[in-house]
Amino acid sequence: MTANHTYETNIRIPFSFIIFGLLAFFLSQILLFLSTRQLSTGEMRLPVVLSAVHLLVIGFALMTAMGAMYQLVPVVFLTPIWNESFAFIQMVVTSLGILSFSISLAFNIQMAIFSGLLLTCGIVMFLWQMFMTLKKQKKRTVITLFVGTALICLLLTIGLGLTLAYHFWSGRQLIDHDLIFKAHILLGFSGWFTLLIFGFSYKMVPMFSLAHHFSMNTARYVYIFYISGLVLTFISFITANDRLLSAGLQLMAVGYGLFAYHMFAILKKRMKKKLDKPFLFALLAIVFGVILHIAAAGFSFESEIHSRIFSIIIYCYLFGWIVLSIIGYLYKIVPFLWWTHRYSKKIGKEAVPTLKQMINEKWIVMECCLFVASLIGMIAALASSSTGLFYLAQGGMVLFSGLFACTIGSVLLK
Amino acid sequence: MEIKAKILEKLQNVLDPELGINVVDLGLIYKIEVKDGTAFILMTLTTPGCPLHDSIAGGVKRALRDIEGIQDVNVQITWNPPWSPDRMSEKALRQLGFLS
Repeated sequence: MTANHTYETNIRIPFSFIIFGLLAFFLSQILLFLSTRQLSTGEMRLPVVLSAVHLLVIGFALMTAMGAMYQLVPVVFLTPIWNESFAFIQMVVTSLGILSFSISLAFNIQMAIFSGLLLTCGIVMFLWQMFMTLKKQKKRTVITLFVGTALICLLLTIGLGLTLAYHFWSGRQLIDHDLIFKAHILLGFSGWFTLLIFGFSYKMVPMFSLAHHFSMNTARYVYIFYISGLVLTFISFITANDRLLSAGLQLMAVGYGLFAYHMFAILKKRMKKKLDKPFLFALLAIVFGVILHIAAAGFSFESEIHSRIFSIIIYCYLFGWIVLSIIGYLYKIVPFLWWTHRYSKKIGKEAVPTLKQMINEKWIVMECCLFVASLIGMIAALASSSTGLFYLAQGGMVLFSGLFACTIGSVLLK
Repeated sequence: MEIKAKILEKLQNVLDPELGINVVDLGLIYKIEVKDGTAFILMTLTTPGCPLHDSIAGGVKRALRDIEGIQDVNVQITWNPPWSPDRMSEKALRQLGFLS
């Protein structure tokens, strides 16, 4: 079989999403820094904190994931993007939705339903784009299963988010508010982000390490255990059954553990002995993920489940697993995007830099160390309720987000 | 110099930017044929979902255009047989740190 199709997406699409994501990341960290006093007391559900968290999760993580998907889906699934013009419109609608939604959450939470509807439009447009693109895929793989399920979870997450916004607007609850809130976090973090990172890791880990001749059999067990755990945990929220919650979290931990083992097995088959530094940080995120899943399953055995402990676990899950994974991969994806734009027409004609030469690895190492140190500081601050430590650690996160944006921006000067 | 040797020499200037190794040493070139001024290159990539698909294929085309006697270049990417690490040259294995 031979193929001469083109799978390159217009570079402006992923870049516009990623640049928005970097700005949202920086802004979210400043907002969290300004809310330090309240956060250090363990109070998480404050308007400004909700605004900062949504800027981080939707503005940075989701927008970056969308941008990366516009670039990766065509090459990973060997299927061109369904409609590029539609992608630009979707970018504008989603950006406006995120900005207005974050402002609403901070200043007038009752009105968040309206900006939430705009945001939902943007995300639904993205889901439609992906549905139309994946529909054209000739040969479906286990990666399609992970990514497809992640997209379904994203749809459910925004549905639940919209229900929460309706509660704030109407002042009455359609369904128990706490149940919706927990399910919103579960499906958003573990359903959407984790399954998406799982799916793309199956492509990116072998690609960045040049691993071949490995078995993909474990992937199906990863899927079965993780999804079973996700469903059981979701049901435990509905039934308010702690035993079921414990069983669900244990199954998720088994699924995640199998994923980590599978990644390790793939890496053992690699040809590239010295792995790139940004990629190592993406792998470090997997180690954090294993620890957090085990911790969540372990604490669920406690007769009285402490919401403070789970708040810390959720914070670590967001930063240590989701955000660190995205950061690690972004340090690889942006040089590639810019290289494609700047040098892909010059390859074969003149000497061109390698992707490694597009970004300063020493800076990456320093930045990622700062990120990890700040994360550990935040965990200690949350656990000890120390305002001073909180300021220091969150200050580190603000510094990181600024340096991160500068390093990514510096690629565009190459 | 024979035209196929010239082609191979030129292809050594086409690097995989992720690995910094040229397509010949990576063992990506399966077949080279020249007929009536057209060079036919049958090649593969290290993975079917390689994001550098178009860049590398385009690079191969550009690298061969200047060769005397070649008016057109036809590059076909194939996944059958899939690329395997044992296609790499000793030089490539050394660059990857696989051989000391």
